[in-house]
Parts: sequence; C-alpha cells; structure tokens
Amino acid sequence: MLELLIAQLKWSSIQYRRYASEAIGGVIALTATFYGLFLSASYIGGGSVRFGDRLDSVIVGYVLWSLVIFIMGGIPGTLQREAQVGTLEQLFISPFNATQILLFRAIGDLIIQTFLISIVLIIIMVTTGRWLSFSPALILPFITVVLGAYGIAFAAGGLALIFKSIQQLLGIFNFALLFLLTIPTETWSGTQQVLGWILPMTTGAGLLRDLMARSQPLALPLLGLALLNGLVYFALGVSLFRWAERAAKRRGKLAGY
Amino acid sequence: MHVLEVQSLQKSYRLSGKVVEAVRDVSFNISAQEVLAFLGPNGAGKTTTIKMIAGLIVPDRGSVAIAGRNPHRQPNALRSLGAVLEGNRNIYWRLTPEENLEYFGVLRGLSGRVARQRAKVLLDRFDLSHKRKTTVQTLSRGMQQKLAIAVALIHEPQLLLLDEPTLGLDVEATQTVKQLVREIAHEGRAILLTTHQLDIAEELSDRVAIINKGKIVAQENTVDLIRQFSGTVYEIELEDGLSRDFLETLGRDRFQKLKSLGALIEKNCIYVRETELLYQALDILKPLAIARIEKDQANLTDIFLKFIREDYYA
Repeated sequence: MLELLIAQLKWSSIQYRRYASEAIGGVIALTATFYGLFLSASYIGGGSVRFGDRLDSVIVGYVLWSLVIFIMGGIPGTLQREAQVGTLEQLFISPFNATQILLFRAIGDLIIQTFLISIVLIIIMVTTGRWLSFSPALILPFITVVLGAYGIAFAAGGLALIFKSIQQLLGIFNFALLFLLTIPTETWSGTQQVLGWILPMTTGAGLLRDLMARSQPLALPLLGLALLNGLVYFALGVSLFRWAERAAKRRGKLAGY
Repeated sequence: MHVLEVQSLQKSYRLSGKVVEAVRDVSFNISAQEVLAFLGPNGAGKTTTIKMIAGLIVPDRGSVAIAGRNPHRQPNALRSLGAVLEGNRNIYWRLTPEENLEYFGVLRGLSGRVARQRAKVLLDRFDLSHKRKTTVQTLSRGMQQKLAIAVALIHEPQLLLLDEPTLGLDVEATQTVKQLVREIAHEGRAILLTTHQLDIAEELSDRVAIINKGKIVAQENTVDLIRQFSGTVYEIELEDGLSRDFLETLGRDRFQKLKSLGALIEKNCIYVRETELLYQALDILKPLAIARIEKDQANLTDIFLKFIREDYYA
C-alpha cells in the first residue's frame, strides 16, 4: 500500500515537473479568478464596500473552494483522461482495487496542488494586504473538508463511469460548492444549524474560517461533527463508485468515452 | 494444469431495445508455453471475451480461472495476468520507458525496489536501454509496442493477453515482436494472441480458436488444422517452360507418360496427386532442371474464411 502511494506521488510529481507550464497556468488562472471575484464584488457593492473580517472569510472560502474543486474534478477527470489516452483498463487490471489506485493518485495530485494553492494564497494575501493567521490546528478541519470532497469526487467518478460525459454536471457542482464552502453556517442556529451540519463540508469550512479569519480556538465538538460529516460523505461516495464500477463492468462500459 | 481456463462464457448486451448475444458458450484452455491464436472477424466477440478474462467485463454466465483463480472474485488472480489491449496505448506517453515500467510494476503488486530491478532487465532485453530516459511519445511505434509488452511482463505473469500486438507496425518491428512472442512463450508463459494478420497467427500459434458471431466455430492444433485442410497434390515447377519445341525435344512419349499418370500440365508446372506418383513423374522428367517442388498446403487465411463463410451460409 505504501509502495503504491509512493509510486502515485512520484507519478504526479513527474507529470507536474515535466509539464510545468500547465501548473503555472493553473496558478495564474486561480489567482486571476479570485481577483475577478474580488473586483466584481467591489463593483456590485460600490466602491465604499468594506469587507473587514469578511474578506478574510472570502479568501479562506475561495482557496478552499478551488482546492475542493480540484479534488472533486480529480477522480472523474482522471477516469476520462486515462480512457482518452488508452491506459484506463490497465489501471483496472491490477491486484489493487480501482478505489485505492484512484484515491492514491488523487492524494498525490492533492499534495502538489496544495503546494500550488499555497502560492496562490500568498499572492492573494500580498495583493489584498490581508495576512491570515495559520495554526497547525488547521489541518484537522481541513482533513474533514477533504474527506467530504473525496466522497463527492468518488460519486462524480462513479457517474463518469456510467454516463461518461459529466462535464456539464461538474460545472453546476462547482457553483453549488461555492455556496457550500462560503456560506457562514457557523453563524446559523436552530434548524438551520442542523442543516449546516448535514450539508457536505460546510462545518469543516466554517471551522477553518473561525481559525484562520477570526483567530478563534478550535471547537472540538464541532470538529467531531465535521469529521463525522466528512467520513459519511466519503463512505457514501466510495460506495457509489464501487457500485458504478460493478455496473460498468456488467454493461461492458468501463472504457470508451 | 492449464494457466487459463475459460468455461462456457456468455455475455449479452441490450442495444436499442434489442438483446445482442456478444459471446455464446465460449470455452477454451491455454497451458504454459502455449500460444493460442484467438481469431475472428470484427464484432465476433474477441474483445468481449478478452475483457471478461481480464476482469474488465463481468460475464452473464460461465467462469474464468487464471492459474486457478477467478479474476472477478479474487483480485490476486490479476497478479498472474499481463495484457496489451488493442486500440489502447497501454502506457503513459508523458513518461519515459523506465518510469512506465517502475510505475506499472508497483501497480501490479511489486515493491519499488523489485520494479526498478526488473525494469532495468526488461529495458536491456527489449533493447530499449538507450531510450530509457526518453519520453514515450517521441519513440517509434515499434519501440512503443515493445515497451507495452515489456510493461505487461514486469510482474512476470503466467498469462499474457496480446490483442493485435503487431497492428500498425512496420516489417522490422513486426519481426521483432514476433520473435519476442516466441521467446515469451518459450519461457513458460501462456499467450492468448488475437490478430487479423493470419500469417502471423499461423507462424506463432500452437492452437487456433476461431470465433464467429460470439460462438467458437473451430478449435484445433494449428498444424493439425492446416494439415486437415491441405490437399495431397504436389506441384513441380520446372525452370524452363514446356514449350511446343521443348516437348518435341523431350519426346511426345514422355509427355504422354506424364498424362497417363494423371498429371496436369500448365505452363512450367506439373501437378500430380500422390507421393508415389511424384517420384514416377520425377523419373520421367529427369534430367530437366526443377525450380521447386511443393505440396499443396492450406493456409490459415483460407481455413479462417472457410469457417466464417460456412457459418454465414448456415
């Protein structure tokens, strides 16, 4: 298992190193998109709009959104790319199951993407003049968000195996994610609060905002809820993917996009 | 013990509301050191069968066992399987040969260290060492195909599936791949070979299975099958044509003797039916210069077409 993870990390790093222009292009695109969002928000709100600590939340939300979009598109994207280049079936002719291979591939890509997004974050902080506080405790809510994102990624991968072209659906997902990750569910109460706990990734995203933008201590009960939320969505996503894999093998539609 | 055992495989698909039987009751085995040529026209069910063997398509009925293990239920069965699939690149064009071998080695269950060692051995063996740090996309088609076969062998599988391994290769690369297939089988591996190049199938295979419309219509030892369809007629080709003047020189009685043996004479070729008559004809022809003597031999292309057409008319 460890050998497979190392091999996937190496695979991802070779791809990024050899085709660095694609990675640099990605960083520029992410930064430009953020700046676009920032400028349009200022335009709509008028020149006098002051984000205050909300701007920090927007930055955290945006960075998280771009990372989750990357994770979510990763697995269906890998399946489609591998099918197009003619290596998909070789991934399935392995004593490791496809879920393991795709998860490790996604983790390898995520590590590299996290590095790239860190660069974006620094650029954003420099351009906005807002410096966010980083704490090692960030890693915990971050993991809960990533778990949920992988769950959705596997679900999307399952849909890609069955329906093949899901680009339009992924586009809609991206905007739904913007809502899930930037909506301040941590300020909700009553029934709304329960809904916030059920929605994928929102609790973990709220904790990240508390830690990074509001410099609040980590709320352990909320972290427990966020972890449970992430695990449930991860398990659901993997289950859906495995079902889709079996269905695709029954219908003879594993490759062929 | 057979390396591959395929028993009564069956697969149907629903296409535009109609049920299409892609594979019907297909059974065959392959032993170690044996090459089975799995032949059939396009759409006959070859690829579906191969994918069922590789665990990529679940059969409706029937079973597959690779080294005694079912690839659909026991993922470890795939440790005994290597495959080069048709219409696929099978390898990463953005990686180098060395990186491909190491990556796929780990993917097939080897440790990184063993994968690196085997990669080195295979690069040497497949004469790719000098290209080990070149990205695959810049290699020739022949080298890419050699690498795809090397990658399929990285975990030393007992069974190798080769789907159209010589498709699109030039003459020299085809010869190299043919030689590799022979060597790989000789090492003790079982090979399932599909190809539309029937001369290659004839040359490389120990046994032939012909599939048409999802059903196996012939399965036999290659030599026996060809012998079965070959005639007993011998063709004697003379260096000079039997012109009228030449016949005059030879003597009309010798010409008559050949005719009395039942020989057919066409231009510079004489056809006699049986071995015994061949020697009599040679005695008669002495001392004329003979260019070639050949027994009428069927080839796999004729046999294949015969089965496919018979099945069509049936």
